[in-house]
Amino acid sequence: MAAAQDTGGEAAAGKWYTAAKATYTTLIDTGHAISSAYQLVNVPSGVWIDERGRIVRPSETAAPKNQELKIGGKTINTQGDAYVAALRDWVAKGESSEFVMSDAEYRRRVKERSPREREADACFKLAVALHDRGREDEARQWWLRAQTLSPDNWNYHRQDWSFTSEAGKKWMDKFQKTTTDYYPKLELKEKP
Amino acid sequence: MVNRRLLLFGGATALTGAPQARATVLYGDREVELTTSRVEKGDLWIPFGDLPGINEFSIKPQGACRADICIPLPKELKRKGWLNLSGFARKVKQAVVNDGALWSFGEIPTLRGGFPESRLAPDFAVKDRKGDTVRLTDFRGRKILLLTWASW
Repeated sequence: MAAAQDTGGEAAAGKWYTAAKATYTTLIDTGHAISSAYQLVNVPSGVWIDERGRIVRPSETAAPKNQELKIGGKTINTQGDAYVAALRDWVAKGESSEFVMSDAEYRRRVKERSPREREADACFKLAVALHDRGREDEARQWWLRAQTLSPDNWNYHRQDWSFTSEAGKKWMDKFQKTTTDYYPKLELKEKP
Repeated sequence: MVNRRLLLFGGATALTGAPQARATVLYGDREVELTTSRVEKGDLWIPFGDLPGINEFSIKPQGACRADICIPLPKELKRKGWLNLSGFARKVKQAVVNDGALWSFGEIPTLRGGFPESRLAPDFAVKDRKGDTVRLTDFRGRKILLLTWASW
């Protein structure tokens, strides 16, 4: 199922679902509830969940195909081909797929939120609620507070920037300064 | 001479904070409008009876309880049927921020069941394009790829 992390709601996200002729479940997650619950910090992110409601693979970049994007002197690689192949393998083989993550690897990757990240999450939700009430000036200070507390969370930045006229410039400025990979390198296979 | 103020307010432990107009509490995917609440020293106080509607805890003799979890409540967090919800949040390491009468409470770490340990996929209730609420638990028995994207 797809979940638009869009405080702008159907007006912002709907046309993309229509253009994609989506046949799957199409969610409009105005409060970013799914990113909050699954600790997702960018889009696109994917989580695999099995028939019993157990997380098979936690947050990873979930691109549909390989893309090499050269932007601002840097390169973004999406590694989508390998991701989709791994997903198909799991769908076919279930528990015996080599892409079902071990508990040890899962614990290595998934960390509890820090107190600052927990506060950032509460600030972001407050900003969304103020935005929904048309209180943009008050919302602004809480968008910014969330970004200050959790600077690596691209969702917090980009949702806020979408309500300004400078989203592209602000993204480029932060992208240029970021030293880590915009999309962390996929590690689909575990080391034995 | 009898202190009329004490009589009126039911003793020295009564809440003296001014009633707040229609406080709204955000928690998880809930937005709860409180018909009555008070703010004292920056903390939000609510009637015991409003707690379950916010976070499914209820006040029992042994503390604030939800399913098999009970959080003991120090007496300074309770006053004649009122709970210091901000103080409770601090006790369970829950973030709380407010802008006027709008209060946002973050996740309660202990309820996450040790998210890194359990691997239990958190449930959610999010609307689809038609406005119908979709829950993850509606999809038990099927494999799910939960995929986030955005228009921005």
